[in-house]
Amino acid sequence: MSSSNPYIPIPVEISKIINEVDTNDIKTFRLTFLRKEDEKRFKYLPGQFAELSIYGKGEAPIGIASSPTETGCVEFTVQRAGTIVPGLVTAALHDMETGGKIGLRGPLGHPWPIEFLENKNIVVVGGGFAFTTLRSLINYMLHQDNRSRFGEITVIYGARTPGLLLYKDELAAWEKRDDIKTIITVDKGNETWTGREGFVPAVCKEVAPSPYKAVAVICGPPIMIKFTLPVFFDLGFYKENILTSLEMRMKCGIGKCGRCNVGYKYVCSDGPVFSLAELDELPRDF
Amino acid sequence: MSINFKHIEDKLKTEAKKLLEQGKVSIVLAYGKGYDDHHPMPYVARNAADVGNIVFNEFCTANLARYLVRYPRGTKIAIAVKAADSRAVIQLIQEDKIKRENLVVLGIPVSGMKNSKTGEIIDSKTTCGLYNPVLYDILLGKEVHGKSVISPYDVLAEYEKMDKDARWDFWKKELDKCIRCYACRKACPMCYCDPCFIDQNKPKWGEKSPESHGNLMYHLTRFHHLAGRCIDCGECSRACPVNIPLYLFHKKVAKECEEMFGQVAGMKIEDKPTLVNFRVEDSDKILE
Amino acid sequence: MLKKTAINKISELAVQLMQKGTLIAPVQEAAGFNFREISDAKQVNLNFHNTILSPKAAFFPQMEDFVQYQTGQSIMEAVPVELNVKPTFLFGVRPCDVKSFEIMDIHFSGTGVVDPYWRARREATTIFGYAFDLDEPAQAEEFYQTLGIGAADPDGSDIFMIRKGETLLLKGITPKGEKLLTQLSRLADGSANEEEYFRNYISRGRDFKTRYTCVDDKNIAKKLEDIFDNGDFWMKVSDACLSCGVCTFVCPNCYCFDICDETLFGKGTRRRVWDACMFTDFTLEASGHNPRAQVFQRLRQKIKHKYSYHVRKYGVISCVGCGRCTRHCPVNIDIFSIVEEAMTV
Repeated sequence: MSSSNPYIPIPVEISKIINEVDTNDIKTFRLTFLRKEDEKRFKYLPGQFAELSIYGKGEAPIGIASSPTETGCVEFTVQRAGTIVPGLVTAALHDMETGGKIGLRGPLGHPWPIEFLENKNIVVVGGGFAFTTLRSLINYMLHQDNRSRFGEITVIYGARTPGLLLYKDELAAWEKRDDIKTIITVDKGNETWTGREGFVPAVCKEVAPSPYKAVAVICGPPIMIKFTLPVFFDLGFYKENILTSLEMRMKCGIGKCGRCNVGYKYVCSDGPVFSLAELDELPRDF
Repeated sequence: MSINFKHIEDKLKTEAKKLLEQGKVSIVLAYGKGYDDHHPMPYVARNAADVGNIVFNEFCTANLARYLVRYPRGTKIAIAVKAADSRAVIQLIQEDKIKRENLVVLGIPVSGMKNSKTGEIIDSKTTCGLYNPVLYDILLGKEVHGKSVISPYDVLAEYEKMDKDARWDFWKKELDKCIRCYACRKACPMCYCDPCFIDQNKPKWGEKSPESHGNLMYHLTRFHHLAGRCIDCGECSRACPVNIPLYLFHKKVAKECEEMFGQVAGMKIEDKPTLVNFRVEDSDKILE
Repeated sequence: MLKKTAINKISELAVQLMQKGTLIAPVQEAAGFNFREISDAKQVNLNFHNTILSPKAAFFPQMEDFVQYQTGQSIMEAVPVELNVKPTFLFGVRPCDVKSFEIMDIHFSGTGVVDPYWRARREATTIFGYAFDLDEPAQAEEFYQTLGIGAADPDGSDIFMIRKGETLLLKGITPKGEKLLTQLSRLADGSANEEEYFRNYISRGRDFKTRYTCVDDKNIAKKLEDIFDNGDFWMKVSDACLSCGVCTFVCPNCYCFDICDETLFGKGTRRRVWDACMFTDFTLEASGHNPRAQVFQRLRQKIKHKYSYHVRKYGVISCVGCGRCTRHCPVNIDIFSIVEEAMTV
């Protein structure tokens, strides 16, 4: 926790805004700390999230998209949320410009279990907008200081259309590297798309990563998760070696406000990262 | 006049059983056993075997019309109603939340019901004071003859003596007690908005905190949402854990509606709700 | 050390406590008794069975302000609200409610991130427990005894009080309570006779019968987990539920809250406000998806949280049998009847 009072956000400045998709509703915000001591205290690992805080609007829990190996800033990829329940915070954020100041509360939740992932082959599977903390994980593993700690890295990432793929420059860079196997797919291509077409679960089946010494890290919309988990189970992955990250409506982010429980676990403080084995213990419904 | 509650209970069971067995309805909204005899609960009978659990006694005050909108449209429902409850059914039909043909109304003529929390007799101070259901298909018992000694608006006498400022102070003080548990709106058969305006965040009409301004916003808006629609069952006031006399405002508005438009909420299926029914001859007093 | 005072001199004790800090005690209001911060010592009234709202608000007020801000201003200018907690005396708390504080401690300050507000208030407060009247039968809604809480259990109180006719006996339970008692000059010393009365009363309290419920926390927790998917059961028990928040607001162990930014005429406060799992919008997500859209899902969550999840997570049922939820439910739903029924499914 980066502040002595876990409910009070620290001030940060938006130093860069990247429009990620052609529908203009997903942007990456690079935030820099306004107080040096906050930067030192904001120690995080891939998979954690934080509350983005705008007084008068509220807070929104967002996964951290940058890797802790990138210092001096922290990045969040935010979708303008809510047609039925207006997402006040994300809407306000999307309307802000570089130089704007907001609050940040975190890091919160448990990260991807880095030590558990060490010396294993990692299969990262992402769908759509939920690729953010996976990007953090991939960049973390690819960092020169860390790469040797992990085995083969396979990334399977899909979006509905080519225009909806996040982090396009990085995807291109990964595709050129030989220490990471990158498979990009879209549900439906367009006239300029030369890559793969197909749904993520089907592509996973086709690529069929070996379960030998491997861990699958899966994030995506519920429907993708639903069809992808069995694929890995069928490929022979142990349930303990299939990891995912849950989303629930959160407020406090620290396991106090009683909102985000699934069974006896609070998604915010006990998760958001869970293995399939852990999820099997929890009620299927909320 | 004494009410034979046991007789009503027996008839309720008999009719409920018949309706369920004949497949005329899929559920019967009635009352069932609570944790003791003084605390019966609303009860839903879904088959003939459930019917044995039905009870009816002087503490069965809940207005079951509240539950009608919970079931999918078209569900065939039998509902036990007392006088005010039947008015809620009529009002819901007027507002097209339920269809008359999907209902079997089991009317209960009754007087001298008691508040299960306090044991107090419930009379026209907090309710409309009618004894007999206004609408029913089957009457469970004999009509109660005679009129309530006091009219449903008599309780307003003290309130009406207050001038505008005194009333404002009165409501500010009363509504300051509110803890925003929303039992009033949830007990109200006419509060079916989803979402309720107070839960919306864009635009945000009122704060969630139990402070003066948010409380006033919530209650005054709710009071007015119920203008010409409140059927004076008094459930909101009985549900309130901090005893806010909500019935006073509702009665006052009902009285004014009656005086201005000559219409009482929930009395005739054919009526249109008072405030959505424009008639050339309507009083202009509301604009003053 | 046993001390005593005449019941009709309570206000003198209250005056002394008010000189030392904030006094929170039962006062009589239109709807019944409630714990309130005392401004006039004469308000303190011990002629109550129990309060409408639980005393949890002494540590977890319905509103807790975090930050004050102004519209259009930068975050740098927002001002955190200082928590200036004065020494506080929480007076006249029934044993089951005292127990609720210990259960809430596990959640707010005993595990995970410490809630600074709860902890500060808790540390600043001296609790005066107050035994139930054993000559008056328990109310139909109460079942604290079957949860292992005696009607005169002094555990968790700093000072414990027992009424003996027109006399109030006070005994220090913790060093903090002992020390305070020596400073309260208005109190007289209790006799050896009264000492014995006090001791006997506590043990009599353990045998004091409340409504019987068969409680075995591990069994309940497991059983409720097993019947999670039994939709018919949950549907049936929630048929009457209005889905209002009375039960959670009066409960000494319900801790759910919302964090709200409330702005009025440009001035705003970020604060936490009690929330209730029974409210429709409690889990409504920005996408419009609501994992608990139906009444039965919300009631199931409430019951399972108290009697199952809480046992799994913290090892203890999140209920002390005070009976408030049942007493104030507009439609007389009785939470423990539901749990008992669940055990027979």
